[in-house]
Amino acid sequence: MSTELEQKLDTLTDADYARGLEVFRGGLKEAEASYLNACVRCGLCAGGCHYHRTEPELENVPGRKLDHIASVFKAHFTTMGRLAPGLVGAKRFDRDMARAWVDAVFGRCTLCGRCSMNCTIGIPLPALFRAARRALGAMGLVPEDLQATVENSLQHGNNMAIEREEWVETVEWMEEELQADTGDPEARIPLDKQGARCLFTVNPREAKFFPLSLQASAKVFWAAGEDWTLASDGGWDLTNYALFTCEDDQAAAIVKNLTDAMTRLGCQVLVIGECGHGYQSARWMGPEWLKQRFPFPVVSILELMDGYLNEGRIHVDSARNQEPVTLHDPCNLVRHGGISEPQRRVLRRAVANLVEMAPHGVENYCCGGGGGQLAMSRYRNRRLAAGKKKADQIRATGAKVVAAPCHNCIDQLSELNKEYQLKVQIKTVAELVAAALIVPTHSEVLP
Amino acid sequence: MPNQLFTPLGTAVVAAGVWAVAGLLVLRARARAFGSRQPFAAAAGDPAAGIRYAFTGAMSPGAKESVREHLPSYGLGLAFHGGIFTAFALLALSLAGFELPRSLWLGARALLALGAMGGLGLLLKRLLKAELRGLSRPDDFVSNLLATAFVALALVSPGQAWLLSAILLLFYAPLGKIRHCLFFFMARSHFGAFFGRRGVFPPGGSHVH
Ligand code: SF4
Ligand code: SF4
Repeated sequence: MSTELEQKLDTLTDADYARGLEVFRGGLKEAEASYLNACVRCGLCAGGCHYHRTEPELENVPGRKLDHIASVFKAHFTTMGRLAPGLVGAKRFDRDMARAWVDAVFGRCTLCGRCSMNCTIGIPLPALFRAARRALGAMGLVPEDLQATVENSLQHGNNMAIEREEWVETVEWMEEELQADTGDPEARIPLDKQGARCLFTVNPREAKFFPLSLQASAKVFWAAGEDWTLASDGGWDLTNYALFTCEDDQAAAIVKNLTDAMTRLGCQVLVIGECGHGYQSARWMGPEWLKQRFPFPVVSILELMDGYLNEGRIHVDSARNQEPVTLHDPCNLVRHGGISEPQRRVLRRAVANLVEMAPHGVENYCCGGGGGQLAMSRYRNRRLAAGKKKADQIRATGAKVVAAPCHNCIDQLSELNKEYQLKVQIKTVAELVAAALIVPTHSEVLP
Repeated sequence: MPNQLFTPLGTAVVAAGVWAVAGLLVLRARARAFGSRQPFAAAAGDPAAGIRYAFTGAMSPGAKESVREHLPSYGLGLAFHGGIFTAFALLALSLAGFELPRSLWLGARALLALGAMGGLGLLLKRLLKAELRGLSRPDDFVSNLLATAFVALALVSPGQAWLLSAILLLFYAPLGKIRHCLFFFMARSHFGAFFGRRGVFPPGGSHVH
């Protein structure tokens, strides 16, 4: 167990535990109260979890992780938990329990929700793990590096603390590359275009490490003649790591960057680049955090590309992507986001040979990098070990390319590629589409 | 079968039944007191369709890996619950003084026998598998033993001992994990509505903005 955590546990006072419990209780509604009463401890969720698949031990059973939380709920909020704690397994929230919570919900869980689908009762376990993470946050027990990522977003408007000048320079450089690539000196990557139809948002990792993926998205927009823009100030970073710390006020402040940019630039559609948690944050959680219905649709770029192909706004030649491609399903995009088919329809047109993993879609396995795991260095070894399930899935397809519509997943998959010698290339869907694009002539590109 | 309703044990069974229902209603009221959530995000699918799917297709082996990989446990669970429902139906008939038509007896006895074997099988699994033992609380064993005894006695000795087992089972129902007879439906409804709204359930449903 990390010394950082032990030191923090040493400093906790009764008031901290009381605050944690209060926050935990405050995050529960009827749904969560039902879930906490419903588990029958059958253990059938075990195989649903990639942690348990790769390391079959009790602490990796989702029902066990839930039980740590349910036992505290029983002890503090139920009559039977107070009257007969030994019988029903109620336990007070103390130092050992706080440690068990941290280990269960930060150390052994990516909030992927695969266990929910396999639960006998139908308990969406991540809802309860999130309530626990929120309580731990109120006690100062969120791992420091994960919290630091959130602080970056709050202070700099993006999670990698990229300064405005650096971002603008990157975009300008990408625009030159796009012009060279398309042969169109008019090809643009618009910044702060007032009244553009789409505000496109990206993962800061694209600016720092994967500019080619930004260029690929821009090339698709160019070919489709889309009216789009990026924001130069707050509102270009789609990530929201407060989804993982579960501190809703901070999550709200971060997602507000996007809604403010929509208002500032007068755009009609908020387009989320290829990022699972970014999509769940903006599409599903954002309105809840801000307690308002968004006056504009939030769509994934995957849906846009699907639409372009359907409407004949772009054309692709699958022969340009000859190598077998498999598709990774990011949990936040597919299982928690409901976006499962657009990327498949796009890839069936853009690549010659799409090989599905078994299982895939809603039943996909997490890559192991979700839930903020990539930002929590203390669990690195566990994260890589748990990723073996995904590595095995990829290897079994025989694919040479993994399409991963999520930059978080791409990071984890890249590490798995090295760790398990997969010898695959990992690309975004837009990169594969851009490679297959039948490039229109200048006059064909709509203004 | 004589009407047992007004015998002391029969009256006690009814009282235990009232206790169980009242207890479960209190638990439901307490859960509801946590308040509900009015989502702001525009739905991409239909929560009602999600709920329908959650109670049907989502529980089938085709949709659930945990079922596919644990077919014996799935079978034991189905048999156990089938036996419990059968035993309660027989209890109601017996309290009301009705005889089960002879043509149905064989089927009922088969369901009870399978139910008792299901309960016993799940109990043995819980005892023998180290990981499941680690996950278990005394409540799990008490709940199983009470329900299994109730089913088994309905089969082999549907007399006073059976009524006594019914009283114990009904008394315990709202206290321990047997409360899942209520919370299964509440939890699964919320589960279905959640994934229904997001356009995840039912599979292949249209995803709208
Ligand atoms: S949410 Fe995912 S990682 Fe967490 S316990 Fe469930 S299956 Fe395992
Ligand atoms: S499958 Fe569901 S009910 Fe069974 S132990 Fe896991 S969380 Fe609990």
